[in-house]
Amino acid sequence: MIPGNVAVDDVATRARYALAGVVPSLVARPGDACELAAVVASVAARGGSLVPLGRGAHRGLGHPPERYDLALVTDRLATIRDYTPADMTVTVDAGVTLADLATLLAREGQWLPIEPPLPAETTVGGLLAADLVGPLAATQGRARDYVIGLAVVTATGTPARAGGRVVKNVAGYDLMKLFIGSLGTLAVLTEATLKVRPMPEEQRCLGFATSGLAAAFAFGAAIGAARLELLAATVVGAVGDEGGEATVVVRLGGTQTDVAVSCARLVELAARYDATLVFDADHATPAAAARLAVIRDFSACADGDLVVRVPALPSRLPSLAADACRVGGTLRGACQGDPLRGVLTLALAAATPEATLAALARIADAHGARLVVERWPIALAPTVEVWRPLPPALPLMRRMKAALDPAGTFATGRFIGRI
Amino acid sequence: MWYRRAVSTSIALPSALARELGAIVGAEGVVSAPAALAVYECDGYTLERAVPQLVVLPRSTAEVAAVVRAAWRAGVPFVPRGAGTGLSGGCLAAPAPLVVCTSRMRSIRAVDLPNRRVITEAGVVNAEVTRVVRPAGLQYVPDPSSQNACTIGGNIAENSGGPHTLKYGVTTNHVLGVEMVLPDGEVVTLGDAIDDGLGYDLTGVVCGAEGTMGIVTAATLRLVSLPEGVTTMLAIFATVAEATATVSAIIAAGIVPAALEMMDRTIVAAVEAAYRFGFPTDAGAVLIIEIDGAAAGLAATAACIEALCRTHGAEDVRRAADEAERAALWKSRKRAFGAVGRLSPSYCTQDGVVPRTRLPEILARIESAGARHRLRIGNVFHAGDGNIHPIVLYDERDVDEAARALAAGREILAACVELGGSVTGEHGIGVEKMQELGLSFGPDDLALMQRVRAVFDPEGRANPGKIFPTPGICVEQRAPRRQAAL
Repeated sequence: MIPGNVAVDDVATRARYALAGVVPSLVARPGDACELAAVVASVAARGGSLVPLGRGAHRGLGHPPERYDLALVTDRLATIRDYTPADMTVTVDAGVTLADLATLLAREGQWLPIEPPLPAETTVGGLLAADLVGPLAATQGRARDYVIGLAVVTATGTPARAGGRVVKNVAGYDLMKLFIGSLGTLAVLTEATLKVRPMPEEQRCLGFATSGLAAAFAFGAAIGAARLELLAATVVGAVGDEGGEATVVVRLGGTQTDVAVSCARLVELAARYDATLVFDADHATPAAAARLAVIRDFSACADGDLVVRVPALPSRLPSLAADACRVGGTLRGACQGDPLRGVLTLALAAATPEATLAALARIADAHGARLVVERWPIALAPTVEVWRPLPPALPLMRRMKAALDPAGTFATGRFIGRI
Repeated sequence: MWYRRAVSTSIALPSALARELGAIVGAEGVVSAPAALAVYECDGYTLERAVPQLVVLPRSTAEVAAVVRAAWRAGVPFVPRGAGTGLSGGCLAAPAPLVVCTSRMRSIRAVDLPNRRVITEAGVVNAEVTRVVRPAGLQYVPDPSSQNACTIGGNIAENSGGPHTLKYGVTTNHVLGVEMVLPDGEVVTLGDAIDDGLGYDLTGVVCGAEGTMGIVTAATLRLVSLPEGVTTMLAIFATVAEATATVSAIIAAGIVPAALEMMDRTIVAAVEAAYRFGFPTDAGAVLIIEIDGAAAGLAATAACIEALCRTHGAEDVRRAADEAERAALWKSRKRAFGAVGRLSPSYCTQDGVVPRTRLPEILARIESAGARHRLRIGNVFHAGDGNIHPIVLYDERDVDEAARALAAGREILAACVELGGSVTGEHGIGVEKMQELGLSFGPDDLALMQRVRAVFDPEGRANPGKIFPTPGICVEQRAPRRQAAL
């Protein structure tokens, strides 16, 4: 039985955690890992199915689950367990938001340089389960590069740990990697220990206008090859509007001296690529912060009923972007590209989303790229393939799911290949 | 010579299988003569040895798959092996009698400079990767001390580190995908050159699995730019405590050096005697501090570090004048383990980790363990990571001293865990630390790992008898190991 202080079954709360239109019968908000384990054990014992969620900000990711009896919400697991700035590590409950974590770390001049969309609504557990990324990923890495320890609850309701609290550790298997990005299909994350980094002494944000996407990506590639203290470079453009301008937003970070030198080099490089400096400010100024937030939140907040991410080899990005942004002829929307990491994200208002997805899939295939559908009209739920192409190791992944969650308690059907 | 010879547990390798394997890899790919097999009796961890019954050296993934499939059919488990430079007995040929060695798989399949990727076969030597891409201004960052011998496949098995992991991360942070042969001979590809998750991160799971999930035959590696500038400093202190306080101060100042290494008096003396770099042999401790990045800011950062060193009692702070001096300094550091051979007939290198702030406590604990067991213990380690390498000096002909050396090592590892750390930072569990794994993980944690292992290797054919204490017989195992040491 799930205790009354943990379970909620009122209509409004349940509706808040709907997945692709499917409303759970019950919402559980355990207060600690122990209660959470009891909820999992209880659901498993009855042959039920649950989906772990943080605050639900990114719950649109992935396929709709096969069954959805219970939303297991971790937002009440919000304790900072340990923070020793001199160790540059922090241990937090899964429900701590990234905004709260950032505030804590900033007091000590440190940060976790992963900036996914909606930090105030994104929990550490959500960041890890969905392997969310942001514009910094190309230079600062992803969640897998920062997690040094995890506590989880397995499908039988048994708590388990992997890793530890030290930055270097090869004792036992690195199960952190397995759970990061598994979208709640293998275990529920309850606690994480993260490496953190000193915040750069200075950060500067520069915007450059270019004649169009092709010019912007050419400039972006040059930025990647130049010697710059680079945090991020993002191409911002429009879809279906070939003649339109595209902007390159560059974020530099390092010591004051390094940033000044990089800035001068960048401006010199821009001149060679006919890119015009239109914006230059410290990243913390309101104007710069607002621009950076728009870039960060793009995939979650951009208009459009179709949002897709197209990861590719960086060298393929310019031609991929040219093809993808012409998709569907009269289609309108916005695009954002990371020329360093090789990711293009499109937000589209598609009249015929199914046909548009098929066209994008053909383009991705032609460029050896992937296609990840992050937002789609609910009507497409039965047919949409969220991740493609399916990887050759999919059979092994299915075996992993079967081994760790044989009864299908955790978010079954939600992950790649509807695992 | 005191070590445990584990032969009685070995599984017999039928002669029909030996013939079949010989036909797959060719006569030159088979090692079966007793004298030649003796070379494979251990890796860099020499306290436990087992001569394999057969070693095969396939030339390709197809040959590895054929070998593994034949062994699977015959019911014979195998041990993957690279260069044999491991430090925890990860490629000990027991109980599996068959060693599959990747050292003939040395081709670099693809170099993609624009995308900063390289695909190497498992037997490619670590240092070779950087040698190939350096002219293009790129490098493969993980740099274990054995980098001139150790292989990429071995690095992946052990998730190897090195001095420069403080800033750049360890092997797993630089491996995007692997091709591997599962224990039934199936070839699988995990991950690829695109830097974005696609399904479960099985590449990340295989990294550091010590060959217990199959044999990695090739890998897609990430390359990074060579830094624009590098400054390497040597700071000399009267005491280890001062050097440790300096490490904390540098980290607290928000500086992430590329490397931050410490050597104590014992090690400095040994290294100086061996390589004549010019270390002051009367120093209590030295720090090697390397910073890299944009050239413009290096001078200011170096000045800041120098000031911190002097504030914390450094007697002298020197900077490497040129690349040659820098190379000589690193050569001395990376060969420190070898130099210790001059101090004592035998030595045992331990590998543990503590949170950076607990370094002073663990060093005190090491010192008291040395005093209590009447042993000399030197320290050379990755101070910035909190990754300690106490080197316990002993004479293996002295039964009692050898036993005390083992006991001291175990005490130090227990102290690491007690201080919030780990029993291994980069050497792995292998056979050496199977009992110690239980200090960090409970039965449920280990059971979860075993279930993951079974997904790749349901029959326990890939490198059995490593990492996990065998259920039911761990108590018996422990006793003969101690007896052997005595």
